[in-house]
Amino acid sequence: MRAAAEPQADDLILSIREVKKHYPIREGALQRVVGHVRAVDGVSFDIRRGETVGLVGESGCGKTTLGRVIAALADPTEGGVHYNMDGMMSRIDRLEGKAARAFRRNCQMVFQDSFASLNPRHLVIDLVGRPLKVYNEATSANLIERVVELLEQVGLGRQHLYRYPHQFSGGQRQRISIARALALNPEVIVLDEPTSALDVSVQAQILNLLNDLQKERNLAYLFVTHDLSVVRHMADRLVVMYLGKVAEAGETQAIFDSPHHPYTRELMAAKPDLEADANVEVRGLEGNVPDPARPPRGCRFHTRCELATPACGWEVDDVVRWLEDAPGMFEHLVGVERQTDFAARLAFDSEEAAGLLSMAVRSEQVPEAMRAAMRRLNLDGDKVEIEFEDVGEIGLTARDDGRMAACVLSPEEVASWKRT
Amino acid sequence: MLDAKHGGATVASVRDLKVHFQSKRGVVHAVDGVSFDIRDGETLGLVGETGCGKSVTGRSFLRLLPVPPGILAGGSVMFSAHEVCTGCEGTGCETCEGTGRKAGQDRSVNLLGIPSEDMRRIRGDRIAMIFQDPGKALNPTLPVGAQIAEVFLQHRTDELIALAGLPADTVGAVRRFASQSPRLGDGWLLSLPGARAQRRRVEEALATMVAGALAETQVPNPAKLMARYPHELSGGMRQRVMIAQALACNPDLLIADEPTTALDVTVEARILELIRNLQQRRKTSVLYISHDLSLVRRISDRVAVMYAGRIVEIGTTTEVFANPRHPYTRGLMAAVPGADTPRGRLAAIRGTVPELVDPPAACRFCGRCPYETSACRNNDPFLEAITPSHLVACFIDHPAPSGERPNYGRVTA
Repeated sequence: MRAAAEPQADDLILSIREVKKHYPIREGALQRVVGHVRAVDGVSFDIRRGETVGLVGESGCGKTTLGRVIAALADPTEGGVHYNMDGMMSRIDRLEGKAARAFRRNCQMVFQDSFASLNPRHLVIDLVGRPLKVYNEATSANLIERVVELLEQVGLGRQHLYRYPHQFSGGQRQRISIARALALNPEVIVLDEPTSALDVSVQAQILNLLNDLQKERNLAYLFVTHDLSVVRHMADRLVVMYLGKVAEAGETQAIFDSPHHPYTRELMAAKPDLEADANVEVRGLEGNVPDPARPPRGCRFHTRCELATPACGWEVDDVVRWLEDAPGMFEHLVGVERQTDFAARLAFDSEEAAGLLSMAVRSEQVPEAMRAAMRRLNLDGDKVEIEFEDVGEIGLTARDDGRMAACVLSPEEVASWKRT
Repeated sequence: MLDAKHGGATVASVRDLKVHFQSKRGVVHAVDGVSFDIRDGETLGLVGETGCGKSVTGRSFLRLLPVPPGILAGGSVMFSAHEVCTGCEGTGCETCEGTGRKAGQDRSVNLLGIPSEDMRRIRGDRIAMIFQDPGKALNPTLPVGAQIAEVFLQHRTDELIALAGLPADTVGAVRRFASQSPRLGDGWLLSLPGARAQRRRVEEALATMVAGALAETQVPNPAKLMARYPHELSGGMRQRVMIAQALACNPDLLIADEPTTALDVTVEARILELIRNLQQRRKTSVLYISHDLSLVRRISDRVAVMYAGRIVEIGTTTEVFANPRHPYTRGLMAAVPGADTPRGRLAAIRGTVPELVDPPAACRFCGRCPYETSACRNNDPFLEAITPSHLVACFIDHPAPSGERPNYGRVTA
């Protein structure tokens, strides 16, 4: 089954289309579903033969979940991952029988924690040889030779065949994971933080190895990581995720030269590399990643963005979040009567507290953009009526040279902005 | 810059520290003759790979090593608490010979030799530690406020009683309550009308002090945070709680063991900024342990590079990063992917950190070093100065007792 709009190209391997993965939140004795954690909330991009796509973002942004959906370890809630099977794009969760087996052998995964992903009771020969046995690629007679061949490709050898995972160092265990992923000669490997548990010197060995293998076998990689220096080194294209959505996507070098999304800029500013000027100012992001069960409206990053404009989707929740952090205010809030996400009546236990809030949201204590987005603010006894501009979803817009970014600001505005 | 400001007095000096561990395969020389000084108000970065002994070095300051299997095989960790010079209040004058410290006899103690009660008084008060994983270091069964309060109860009983408005000579159950040393029956005594009121005042004073400590770390709404349990907080928030706890008593020395490794880069930058601000304000010395070179470069005044239980290079941050002299330091720096490194051409250091069971009398980097020669395999290099502040343990810069000397011009392996 194939929709007409799907991309068709011979060098395309995987096409991720509007993938959503929501996890239900259950509560109470009956385990009623009270909401959903929107781990991945509508992500699209393509992976082509022989290229490396980097997927970056903070922890909790959904990058690992997306990696698992792509490797068919989790089914998407909506949308789908399409796999190029002999020129036909087919959704992987609808594949059956032989086709499903063909996809599984062509899409492999390497996990972050090699302690957890290698069975401690199995010998290396079992770990690396199992895929070969399952797919009848090797008989017991030539299994050993095939495994040795694979081990040699990743820099291990025959002497390691009959050892257990705990007898290896972290770097060596990650090599075993890579050998296992290579066993069936896949087209694409999902690498989920393959080097974040390793030392830099060992990381360099593994990254070099992955590169050599890619050249030799024309492999495609989806490189999931939070380390920007690694992703800049490895990836041809980059997808930056924030809270389940793509903030920015495009050629790696172009993104590093001029980020079009403030979030990308913040990520890059938080970790200057070793070559950068030692005196370069470094500042991280204020605040926490918002709750993915109730993601902010408009642009999801507006709650932490220093460039936020009135058009970024300010809402009632932003006022409530501000109240939570203001000393001695949240205790006085007794109810929120919500008409929409953008308009509500906040009830307090005293007129004084209501007055304080209506003063505060008009003052410097809240971001200027938030004040500008406020359409109405009425103080009515112990209640405060508040209404913001109604803002729709801020989606990805196409920029020059195949770049995409989800920001209302122009690249020049993002680039020209200086920290105050 | 620090020497000028603080006169370069040392808050701690480690001399030939040796920590070994008994294992099935033999005695592991985890730390094998490490010496360095930490000066007043400076940040010393300690970098190296996993298993090179940097955490063990940090923990030995607080005697947090399991003994056995650990063996304190030798050396000393001398610590001298700040006693600010009365003449100049720390700015440096003639009476204190520019050190900013009270003149007189040496008041330093060997942390490895003092009785455990004395150690207990120093731990958390004069020397504090921030651990790598705040999820593990905080007690999951107590609200974070109660965990910070323990520091004050242990070390600040008198201030607590004064803040509660009670007479300084308060004794009995109330004082025991304020010093967290209850006796049988204290619960009953404290429930008596008079004592109950005093107890409540102590509790209020304690809450004020805890809220103050948390507010220092720039958390929003500290009063609300105090009642939360660690699992309710994000990683960055937990790390702030641990920093608040560590800095609660204004320590002279802070040991930070990979405090941001478990955090996101955006949060990491915030935490670093916080540690640096608090440190500058309070003139605390920091031993910053990390495997992340770019991070250590940003936060440290001086850097010590550790390899296989030894310090192989130590110097000011500028010296070490602009002119690394040890092949291992160079290897570490080259292994970090840079903007212009061609793909697949990262300079990896071959091999892995050697097992430190009965190491031979040779340079420990042998087998991984691209420049090694017979001199390296037959002699054990020790730290020698290149400039007064930059020391390296390598025969490239120092004469070897025997054999052919290595040089950067010739790759031998």
